[in-house]
Amino acid sequence: MAGPSWLAWVFASVVIVVAGYCLTRLVASWRRHRPSDHRVDAIHVLMGVAMAGMLVPRLRVFWTGGWEVVFAAGAAWFGWLAIREFRGRPTAGGRPGHHLQHVLACGAMLYMFLAAATVAKAAAGGSAMSGMAAGAAHFRTLALVLAFALFGYVVWTADRLSSLAPVAALAARSAPVPVLAGAGTAGGASIVAAGGEGTPGDDGQAPAGQSRQAPLSPRLAACCEIAMGVTMGYMLILML
Amino acid sequence: MASQAADAGARAGWLRGIGAVHEESWTAPDARRRLQLVLAGIWLLDAVLQFQAFMFSKGFSQMLGATAAGNPAVIADPINWSAKIIAGHGTATNAVFAFIQLAIGLGIAWRPTLKLALGASIVWALGVWWFGEGLGGVLSGAGGPVNGAPGAVIIYALLAVLLWPGSRDRAAPFVAGRFTGANVARSLWLVLWGSLAYMALLPATRAPKALGGMVSAMASGQPGWLSGVDNHLGAFLTGHGPAVAVILAIVLALVAVSVYLPRPFARAGVVLAIVTAAFIWLAEGLGGMLTGGGTDPNSGPLLALVAVAFWPLASAVLSATGQPGQIATTQSQSPEGA
Repeated sequence: MAGPSWLAWVFASVVIVVAGYCLTRLVASWRRHRPSDHRVDAIHVLMGVAMAGMLVPRLRVFWTGGWEVVFAAGAAWFGWLAIREFRGRPTAGGRPGHHLQHVLACGAMLYMFLAAATVAKAAAGGSAMSGMAAGAAHFRTLALVLAFALFGYVVWTADRLSSLAPVAALAARSAPVPVLAGAGTAGGASIVAAGGEGTPGDDGQAPAGQSRQAPLSPRLAACCEIAMGVTMGYMLILML
Repeated sequence: MASQAADAGARAGWLRGIGAVHEESWTAPDARRRLQLVLAGIWLLDAVLQFQAFMFSKGFSQMLGATAAGNPAVIADPINWSAKIIAGHGTATNAVFAFIQLAIGLGIAWRPTLKLALGASIVWALGVWWFGEGLGGVLSGAGGPVNGAPGAVIIYALLAVLLWPGSRDRAAPFVAGRFTGANVARSLWLVLWGSLAYMALLPATRAPKALGGMVSAMASGQPGWLSGVDNHLGAFLTGHGPAVAVILAIVLALVAVSVYLPRPFARAGVVLAIVTAAFIWLAEGLGGMLTGGGTDPNSGPLLALVAVAFWPLASAVLSATGQPGQIATTQSQSPEGA
């Protein structure tokens, strides 16, 4: 990756913090039974570690070729979830757009690792021709298109930040008070009732009318997606 | 309203299952909000382009200093002064520039800071238009439609005004007129596209080989497909530059007046504007973004975004309710539903 080393450290620090936070979400969710999207938290941990290693070579922790397998599998997994959603078979993750966002992110990671490997091989060749071949091989236009798409998801996520409940509100709502099924089905507030009750999933939520733990902060989860998207966009632009 | 809420709930991902989506005041983005989000995305792209290695080098300050050439002293001297400061503190100044643009992009995307970010973007764009683009070559006569005139960054400011979320919206046949009113918005459109038509006839564009030289110069450092497009286009324009400049001026003038015509012609004008913007963007080599030295996507996509904001809406939606975000337009059901 080209660019000032201090800036690489800044972005690496951001993704390490995100990865660390997502790891704590996974642990907290598991130990305290607080709902969260485990798949997204897990992929953010992996992405954070991988991106930090790409930005700052001394932070690399994985074998050559290993990350390509991880993110190819990630893209396939989230792609499968998205296809299931499109076919009308809901998964706990929710809507297709949500999964597509992570298909895109995994695809971008895969692209970066493959492009970096191509350039490295060409550079090892040492000739001017191999350098030119590397430039052509890593498809700069694709990097720009991926960056465009990632920024699209970043602004889309940021726009919806205000629609997410703060943890305090969620904690108050999760108090052991019987809930009337179907209450408040009109207006913006109805989203809570329409989606929140009576649909047990695999993320720890309880059936309607029962007490449950407050979920881990959805706003911070969205902020993680924003930070990851901006950093990944930066890395893609550096590959132009 | 209920359908909006249901839509938002249906698209809330894992949050749907845990009841984490609640905001009563939150509504699905309408047409203007979607355009604001596109603008936010372009600001983010700008910010990240500003983080490229080239921008931290002396080359960046030299590029800024070069925009002073041909401008009156009152404009050129401050440009040279700021270029010297940036040359002396390249890392710090460029980092500040990039983070400001990042903040503007995220600020527009996050609703609570929308007005603040749009206001900041106007101030920032005006500053960059002067100190970074030499007023887009408007006063020097060097500006032309295919080299970014009247300055890509001034179009950001224009878009911020046209897409401003006013406390009371006015009735307008297009999104761009909801804050300023239709007449003011039409005047801004006329000035923008009319000035482009005028500049297409200036010697910097109309002189033999001028247009061809401009486009061919964009091919350097581009990937093969874009280099090929610009080289072929440049070769063609080298042979037919003056005639193409006149045709371009006529097209731009038609676009400029189309906003005053009846709806079918106005729509044709917007389509023509988008096609022209695409042509301009190709001729600009996509703003040099693929060369590793582009600071922004240049004027092409911004002109297209302005054009979309002027898309004439159906007659049934001309009345304003006075409540932002509540105007029922044919394009405002949901962001994904369009």
